[in-house]
Amino acid sequence: MKAVSFSKESILGLIALIVFILMSLFIPGFFEQNNLNNMMFQLPEFGLLALAMMIVIVTGGIDLSITYIAAMSGVAIALMQSHGYPMLTAIIVGIIVGLACGLINGTIISKIGVSPILVTLGTMVLFEGVILSITKGSSISGFSESYSLIGNGYYMGIVPLSIIIFIFFAILTGVLLAKTKWGRSVYMIGSNPVATLFSGVNNSRVLMRVYLYAAMLAAIASIIMTSRYNSAKVDLGSSYLLQSVSAAVLGGTEIQGGYGKVIGTIYAVIIFQMLSSGLNLMGVSRPIVNVMMGVILITVLVLNFVKGKIEEKNQKTAAA
Amino acid sequence: MKSILKSKEMSIAAIVIALCITLTFVSPVFLTADNLLDVLKANSVIGILAVGMTLVIITGGIDVSVAAVTSAVCVIIGKLMQVMPDHFSSLLLLFLIAPLLGILLGAINGVLVAKIRIPAIVVTLGMMSIINGLVLYITNGVYLNSTNFPKVFIQFANIKVFGVSVIILIFMAVALFTWYILKYTLIGREVLAIGGNKESALRVGINFDKVQVFVFSYMGLLAGIAAIAQTAYTKSVDPNGMLGLELLVIAGVVLGGANIMGGRGTIMGTVLGVLLLGIVQNGLILAKIDTFWQKVFTGCIILLAVSYDHIQYKRSQEKLAKIEVEA
Amino acid sequence: MSDYLLQMTQISKTFPGVKALDDVRFEVKKGEVHALIGENGAGKSTLIKILAGMYEPDQGATFLFEGKDAQINKPIDATLKGISIIYQDLSLFSNLSVAENIYIGRDSGKKPWKKVNWNEMENVAKKALQELEFEIDVQTPVEKLSIAQQQLIEIARALAFDSKLIVMDEPTSSLSAGEVEKLYRVINKLKQRGISIIFVSHKLKELFAVSDRFTVLRDGKYVGTYDAKELDEDQLITLMVGRKVLYEKNTEKGLAGQTLLELKGLTKAGNFKDISFELKAGEIVGITGLVGSGRTELAQAIFGVNKPDSGEMTLNGESIQIKSSEHAVKKGIAYIPESRKTQGLILRQSLTNNISLPILKELRNGFGLIKRKKEVDLAKHYIDTLDVRPAHPHRAAGDLSGGNQQKVVIGKWLSTKPQILIIDEPTNGIDIGAKTEIHKLLRKLAAEGLGIIVISSELPEVLAVSDRILVMRHGKIAGELDIAEATQENIMNYALLGSKASTLKKNVQASKEVSV
Repeated sequence: MKAVSFSKESILGLIALIVFILMSLFIPGFFEQNNLNNMMFQLPEFGLLALAMMIVIVTGGIDLSITYIAAMSGVAIALMQSHGYPMLTAIIVGIIVGLACGLINGTIISKIGVSPILVTLGTMVLFEGVILSITKGSSISGFSESYSLIGNGYYMGIVPLSIIIFIFFAILTGVLLAKTKWGRSVYMIGSNPVATLFSGVNNSRVLMRVYLYAAMLAAIASIIMTSRYNSAKVDLGSSYLLQSVSAAVLGGTEIQGGYGKVIGTIYAVIIFQMLSSGLNLMGVSRPIVNVMMGVILITVLVLNFVKGKIEEKNQKTAAA
Repeated sequence: MKSILKSKEMSIAAIVIALCITLTFVSPVFLTADNLLDVLKANSVIGILAVGMTLVIITGGIDVSVAAVTSAVCVIIGKLMQVMPDHFSSLLLLFLIAPLLGILLGAINGVLVAKIRIPAIVVTLGMMSIINGLVLYITNGVYLNSTNFPKVFIQFANIKVFGVSVIILIFMAVALFTWYILKYTLIGREVLAIGGNKESALRVGINFDKVQVFVFSYMGLLAGIAAIAQTAYTKSVDPNGMLGLELLVIAGVVLGGANIMGGRGTIMGTVLGVLLLGIVQNGLILAKIDTFWQKVFTGCIILLAVSYDHIQYKRSQEKLAKIEVEA
Repeated sequence: MSDYLLQMTQISKTFPGVKALDDVRFEVKKGEVHALIGENGAGKSTLIKILAGMYEPDQGATFLFEGKDAQINKPIDATLKGISIIYQDLSLFSNLSVAENIYIGRDSGKKPWKKVNWNEMENVAKKALQELEFEIDVQTPVEKLSIAQQQLIEIARALAFDSKLIVMDEPTSSLSAGEVEKLYRVINKLKQRGISIIFVSHKLKELFAVSDRFTVLRDGKYVGTYDAKELDEDQLITLMVGRKVLYEKNTEKGLAGQTLLELKGLTKAGNFKDISFELKAGEIVGITGLVGSGRTELAQAIFGVNKPDSGEMTLNGESIQIKSSEHAVKKGIAYIPESRKTQGLILRQSLTNNISLPILKELRNGFGLIKRKKEVDLAKHYIDTLDVRPAHPHRAAGDLSGGNQQKVVIGKWLSTKPQILIIDEPTNGIDIGAKTEIHKLLRKLAAEGLGIIVISSELPEVLAVSDRILVMRHGKIAGELDIAEATQENIMNYALLGSKASTLKKNVQASKEVSV
């Protein structure tokens, strides 16, 4: 057994590869420039939100407000630009708005200690309300030409610009989690918050930064989304909420916290992206794709449970 | 316990009354029987669901799929009613099918949470996505109106007893029935016991899995009943009409003093919590404040309520002196 | 029918990697108080959990109750047979009333829709409470009661259940002397009614005061069952530890250099009151007292995770308020908590990650990234110096034995180069050999100039390592003893009575008379 054991992540990478090959072979139009490009343009926004969700889940929490944080910063950027502010100022304000949302989550969760589910449920409603009050439910557009390049343009004519942004943040997240004191503390808190606190770690500060960082990733995702859609409205990216939880879980993140890797999440995001685009090409309707996302999420967790049971049994027989 | 909970319920009741007095000054329309009954009627579906959610939250769970389950049952009974004869038995059949469907869906949640040990938030989030997807796929988002509903259903929906709509009566019946379960049945006491101390509950032989399956199934049952109430209220089926309603339901429960840390929560508190939300909404309309602000208020109220509740909880834990220090 | 109520033979229990119980027998007669004795980790609680239906024993066990084969697979099976277990942390529902807490469990397994009869519930509760001569309104929520009162509620629950066997796990651990007396009277009464009682405790004096017979376990094995009259304390200790003297009393005199830490009137409501003492470099101060006397709370206050209400703390002559555990680490204060598995270590993480956690800040390079090699080397250093086995820096901490885990925790804190080390129950659940090793290590660290506070309930341990001993009682320091004058006896006097005067003997005598 031990001689050939692959990590969860490498198995997932293998699955991603197999899905890719199968879809390329059997689904007409999958392995075509156009479709591959489409997938590359869709992947970054989903990937960034999934990474954000993953970090939160590693601490044992969940962020239900993540897509509305994205929508908040998207609306802020749209408003700034449509009022004639320069692109860079708009982006900076958008990120600040996102961080402010993260600050609200982080403060109530880390300082007061309320459970993340309830807090982010509340902020989800709050942010949605704020956006609705500002936009009156309509969408805002009026982005500059150069802004639309972020989500639609190519770097050196081949690689989508947004993919480069995504890769940058994926590497950044990976390095932060694996190599820094903060990242290590994130895993430690997810494994055992009391022992971590008793080891001289400032749990509250670590958690605050987690919700801030997640909000920042959401803001970056919203820049890509608004640029791609050329508009911002209240449900910007809202379909990604469940998908990001699913991707994190499929990517090996433990829902109780303590474990989760960037690369696993990315593989999961790629698999989801291929499935959704493949099913789309096969003419499966959008709602059914959503159904599948839910089914995959629950199936993976059921399988994890069964696997755990089997391992437990094996251990017992080994010990006896 | 009684005194604490009483004071908690009293404080919500006090807020409700204070709000009512303010609104009476803001708008003369507020304190009319018609308006108050309208508020009640409009919030009955949320109320029915919130009553079920109270049990889920007492045992430390959460169910974000309630609105989806209710929608699904609405769609199914809506479709059924298109072909049902206009006969009293159709009504009976509806009252049989809707709750059963709800129980079935709720039980799936319950089994996944209790037996497979997947966190309730994840199970119900997944369930929500699956059900919403299926509903959208089957209906294509198309609205069903009442023209093809059996007349007997419309008659039922219009029943009033002393001017009180049958929908409000259903809500009241559900609340009373659930209160009775919590207070006077074994399973109800087990729900509270598990909320109080899971470890102790296991030691005295309470079957935690069974109770979890029960609370989620009961939530499903009430979702089925809520579906009838919703269909009776709107006299139509809108597949998208309940998106996001689960948040108001949870908000009502949390406002009513139930604690996700478990053990606390009463039906009375939840009913008051739902009323509070309903009155705020009504007040905003009467005060001619943009309805979009409603969500802002709701969000703030949830955040304030959960924070306040948690601070109180921490205080009470601190006060539970572990050591009797000598003077 | 024999006069045995309970007969358990050939009881073994294997956990992955550990044999917690090895062919143990345990027999309890009707109407006797039977003490189950052994050190921490001897297997007492595993045996109780098997009796309670929480654990399933390995194959081959026989289990007779009232002479009949007893199938106990779930906690409720035990309850229905008339076995009630009163756990140390109690099994009460703070949100429910006294009546309901007493009645609960009776209906387990019945139809979920069974109607709850509040009148009957209250009558049953009142009757049980009457038998205990405990007057309280049965509608009071349990969260309003004191620990001693809550314990009586548990006993009342067992009575209401017509239990034939009541297991009391460390029942006196958080009771005052007066309350202990009351408990003895209750036990006596139960005995007269023909109820058997299994009494689990560490406190030898108390065991002799109430028990008729003893069963001794050591390292998961059955040592023997003895009549209380045929043994004295020394013999019992010998049986428990397997040799005459456990530890040598400390005779070294510590360095006692400059004052590191000084507390003046430190107070926290509901935790501790008016605590004043000094800790000097190179000395070990032992803090003892009953569990629940405020020792741990005090330690956590010094470590910054339990903020005191008032009082002053001075570190190296400067007044200071420790705001957080992070701040404590920065100021050179280390705290090794009582529960290794839940508070001391992160079991699923590697030894390296555990050891480096408090000092990750110092392991960073210019870009703020952790220098992994330096980190692993650091871990290896402490694994080697403390002789942790297996010496694998990448193994999960959960894979190690208790003694080795404790060394990892110590290593973790030594890596911070502390000036003050607070260690709570340093050898809890560790086997004998490793215990002495840890004691030696503590003495060595003190000799190197560290100021150490050792919190322990084990008096021999306190005597073996300390230079000075503080005895806490009900949140206050009841007495301070120099090692030269300290004995188990005078420590217990302070702990139980708050004074040095040796009234304990009389007291024990008195309770013995009651129970005979």
